[in-house]
Amino acid sequence: MSETGLELEWAQTVQDSMEKVLRRFAGEYHEDEYGFDEEFAEAVFPIWEFLYTRWWRVEVEGVSNVPGHGRSLLVANHSGAIFPFDAIMMGTAIQKEHPLPRWTRALVLNWAFDLPFVSYFIRRIGGVAANPANLSRLLGQDEQVMVFPEGAKGFGKPFGERYRVQRFGRGGFVEVALETGSPIVPVAVVGAEEIYPKLGESGVLARLSGAPYVPITPLFPMLGPLGLLPLPSRWRIEFLEPIDLSGYGPGAGEDRALVFDISEQIREMVQEALYRGLVKRGSAFL
Amino acid sequence: MAETGRVVIVGVSTYWGSELARTLGRNPGVSEIIGIDTSPPEVDLGTAEFVEADIRNPVISRILPALDPDVVVHCGIVLYPERDRPSRALHDINVIGTLQLLAACEKVEKLKALVVRGSAAIYGSSPGAPAFFTEDMARRLPLVTRFQRDVSELEGYFDNFARRHPQITCCMLRFQTEVGPGLDNPFIRYLSLPVVPTQLGFDPRLQLLHSVDATGALAAATVNPVRGAVNVAPDGAISLSRLLKLSGRSSVGVPPVIAGVLLKRVGNLLGTGGMSKDGQILLRYGRGCDNRRLREEVGYEPAFDSEGAARDFAAKRHGMSAIFPSPHPGSPVRSLGR
Repeated sequence: MSETGLELEWAQTVQDSMEKVLRRFAGEYHEDEYGFDEEFAEAVFPIWEFLYTRWWRVEVEGVSNVPGHGRSLLVANHSGAIFPFDAIMMGTAIQKEHPLPRWTRALVLNWAFDLPFVSYFIRRIGGVAANPANLSRLLGQDEQVMVFPEGAKGFGKPFGERYRVQRFGRGGFVEVALETGSPIVPVAVVGAEEIYPKLGESGVLARLSGAPYVPITPLFPMLGPLGLLPLPSRWRIEFLEPIDLSGYGPGAGEDRALVFDISEQIREMVQEALYRGLVKRGSAFL
Repeated sequence: MAETGRVVIVGVSTYWGSELARTLGRNPGVSEIIGIDTSPPEVDLGTAEFVEADIRNPVISRILPALDPDVVVHCGIVLYPERDRPSRALHDINVIGTLQLLAACEKVEKLKALVVRGSAAIYGSSPGAPAFFTEDMARRLPLVTRFQRDVSELEGYFDNFARRHPQITCCMLRFQTEVGPGLDNPFIRYLSLPVVPTQLGFDPRLQLLHSVDATGALAAATVNPVRGAVNVAPDGAISLSRLLKLSGRSSVGVPPVIAGVLLKRVGNLLGTGGMSKDGQILLRYGRGCDNRRLREEVGYEPAFDSEGAARDFAAKRHGMSAIFPSPHPGSPVRSLGR
């Protein structure tokens, strides 16, 4: 292409993005009923892409196990201690590697919505407060949803307990999956445990900020905001084969024993996949 | 269409009461409309008659049965605590008034239906709340404000009444925040501030119910009441930031801890009144209500979704010179002589 052609193209790009910014300032953009803003999610996507390819060098296995359309539930182990990058990287993997990329919603710990700025940032990129009503509504609308049944127990576990999958709550996600007939895809995320190695907790800061806990990592809060820089561990995400629950029929969600059975089964599948993944990944940082 | 018969509207001088009276006046299924309130309405009610009575007074138990209504619609619940009407004063109107009215309804012989214009504030607002409350989720979150406890209490009495009288169709409507041209409530006055203070770091998801839909749903529920609670809410939700952008308002983020005090100060200065605690919490966490029951069972399809209501509100207010909307002749603010 000639030099003027390139310049014209560049000028066009600048003009387009200016128009987009002005349009957004006038409120002319779309947000869905949960507050998800696709344009915003696209705008921040390059950051996740950088983290995905350069920073954490994510390897993905079995991405084709994720249904390309219709309702489905991704159930993963949780870690991160400070920010749920595991959810974001799962979403990025589906966007980048899947033949039918789509935006995946995530159920997020309730207190995240009580944190200034974090609350609406998470909402705009597709986070929804974690409760069965939201999960059931999203699946009913044929959305794809990520859940982390370990919740805060998994998210905030100390570094010494890394890759040990915690108890899976009350199994509410299985109940909803049974009721809505959604397939469950177990997911094992290796690497997120090393980004913020949690050595302890600060009770004082937790009380001051209102957060359920404030982690102490080698860098945080010692280095202040700089301590929020995640360490460049090597990641591996494995999507396991989907579990079809449609055979149980309606009403199966009320069977406590069945719900706990399925929930425990999924927990074990994730745990085994984590051990396999750890071996395959090898060194955590190099 | 089933014959609705004789309708008594309690609180007919409020904006919603008189709007309902005029809407029902055009409905051939409604044979007679009688309005009750403490002071006569300032707008023409059309075919409706007016009876002066106070529901807080036990005399209502003699007046109401004499009117022999088929349907009683209670529009007298005040949904927004504000400076002139603190939540303590509202307790008297809302809880005691409803209680007296229910007692009076016990004595009405052929009552077919009771419709109450209640509030979605019963659900509250919280960071971990469901994105869309369904009707069975009332009182799931702790009741944190006085007004919320009042709404919960009067719904308790209402439920009790419904249980005791299975032959009467008792319908509790839970209204989300209404907006509309010519409407006046603390939320609209908040949006009318020269610079709108928002809570820094928070951007609530709101549902804006257009006044056309608020009246339409109330009329639809009067003609076709269903048992139990029904959310009156539009489709979808809109974030406060986008609402402000669409309506071209400038805003400034203030730390949430001082937002309440600031709104009170500014409100006193400009005569707009502050924002109740319910409003402050709503403006931090937002609230969404599921409207499937309204659509499917009451059979009312809202004409505006949240975004549509916001756009209509923005368009119709554009170019208005006054900071504040001129109160509707029947609006509670006007009748309070503000």
